[in-house]
Amino acid sequence: MRRRPSFFEHLHPPAIPEREARFRYTFGLGGISLLLFLILCLTGLLELFYYLPTLEDANASAHVIDALVPYGWVVRGIHYWAGQGIVVTAALHMVRIVLTGAYRTPRRFNWLLGLSLLPAVLLLDFTGLVLRWDTHIAWALMVGTNLLRTIPLVGPALYTLAVGGSEIGPPTVVRFFAWHILGLALPAAILIAWHLFRVRRDGGISRLAAPALLPADRPPSSASDFPRIPRAELVRREAITALIVCALLLTLALLAPPGLGPRAEFADLPPDASAPWFFLWVQQLLRLGDPFLMGVAIPCGVLLTLALVPYAIDRHTGGEGRWFNRPGRLAQTIVLGMLALIGALILRGALT
Amino acid sequence: MRRSLSRLTRRAALKISLALSGGLSLYGLVRFLSRGEPPPTPQQFALGYPGDYPIESVTPIPEARALLLRDEAGFYALSSSCPHLGCTLGTESSPFECPCHGSRFNRQGQVIRGPAARPLTALELSLTTDGRLVLDGGTSASPDQRLTAGS
Repeated sequence: MRRRPSFFEHLHPPAIPEREARFRYTFGLGGISLLLFLILCLTGLLELFYYLPTLEDANASAHVIDALVPYGWVVRGIHYWAGQGIVVTAALHMVRIVLTGAYRTPRRFNWLLGLSLLPAVLLLDFTGLVLRWDTHIAWALMVGTNLLRTIPLVGPALYTLAVGGSEIGPPTVVRFFAWHILGLALPAAILIAWHLFRVRRDGGISRLAAPALLPADRPPSSASDFPRIPRAELVRREAITALIVCALLLTLALLAPPGLGPRAEFADLPPDASAPWFFLWVQQLLRLGDPFLMGVAIPCGVLLTLALVPYAIDRHTGGEGRWFNRPGRLAQTIVLGMLALIGALILRGALT
Repeated sequence: MRRSLSRLTRRAALKISLALSGGLSLYGLVRFLSRGEPPPTPQQFALGYPGDYPIESVTPIPEARALLLRDEAGFYALSSSCPHLGCTLGTESSPFECPCHGSRFNRQGQVIRGPAARPLTALELSLTTDGRLVLDGGTSASPDQRLTAGS
């Protein structure tokens, strides 16, 4: 009886088309995001051995990891930088998918799976930051949770679900701890596995349909028209990328360790009230008006627009595998436009 | 009755019961997670004697997240929590400015500049028998109310 392929073999078939493995086509962004997620799981698991999710001890235990646990500061540094990195690589991965038209049928469902990972990653970063429980997270925590309360009908219930009471208090740390690990990281891990499985199930990474590569007068026949690379070559490329990413993470962790302030006292907070960098654009929007509209409706609207890309904005077939393909111009313009606005707002928030 | 029952296949019945039990479990899960600590009992904060605070003074009371103010007419207290999204206002200078989103309030607690849409909450002040000021953290007062004290 033939052995069924393992999950690794499912992701790495004996040979894959050369064009879908080109680094300058994918930039390895999905793979790098996966690697960062695995590193986050591993370093997060290590931090679990020391972190104490209580109001009194949370911040102190983070300081213990930094100062007393052997290599604790390296572990926390890598966890932090992998967490910042995955926001960047996941977002760029999404941009690559948009610009090469890879969201089209038959990959529409996998686009939705990947898109649902975007808020998961942002919320993971946010809850992870709150777990520091230092003076710098207090404003972000207060604003973020009060935003939940502005949602009509379900707002107060969501607030209780997130915070564990009618105001920030002892249950809040445990709640954020549980949300971070069981409420967000675990579902994200399941979604990632599904997302990866669908890549091959949908016929591998999107690429130019083979006939488009050929001169019109020649039938696609010889094997050289469909150059393929063997599994070993794919694994070699992945290993090189992984090594470079790990080296970069280690360098960042050693040279730019993440900050950790004194314990948050909500009665006496510092005047600096910057949101975490990936939510600076929301903070800038909130300056403009109604909190529900600016802080909840608009960010959800961005996600909804992205979700509609393959279902309403660009229902063409063909063109995938080509950067800035013509049929996808509208979708590309909309997504790049939104991203440029968000980037400009982040920059504005960072500079003021 | 018989007809509608015969149309319901075993598979459909299983699907429906699975969906129902899934929905019930979800309801139970949400209920399980929604226990909140009851709100803490509002505290009273003992302040100094009226004479300690000159006219036109603004005194932050950080533990109450409030401000004690005095004008010509008397004493009044305002919450220093921004009604927009709850950040504590900077009170070193007037107008009071929210560090998070830039709302500004004048000394009477009215909005000078958004995004905040509501004025600051006025809090109840009273006097103890020995003539000290007491701030009641849980009770809101009328914004024009002033506590006069012979000082």
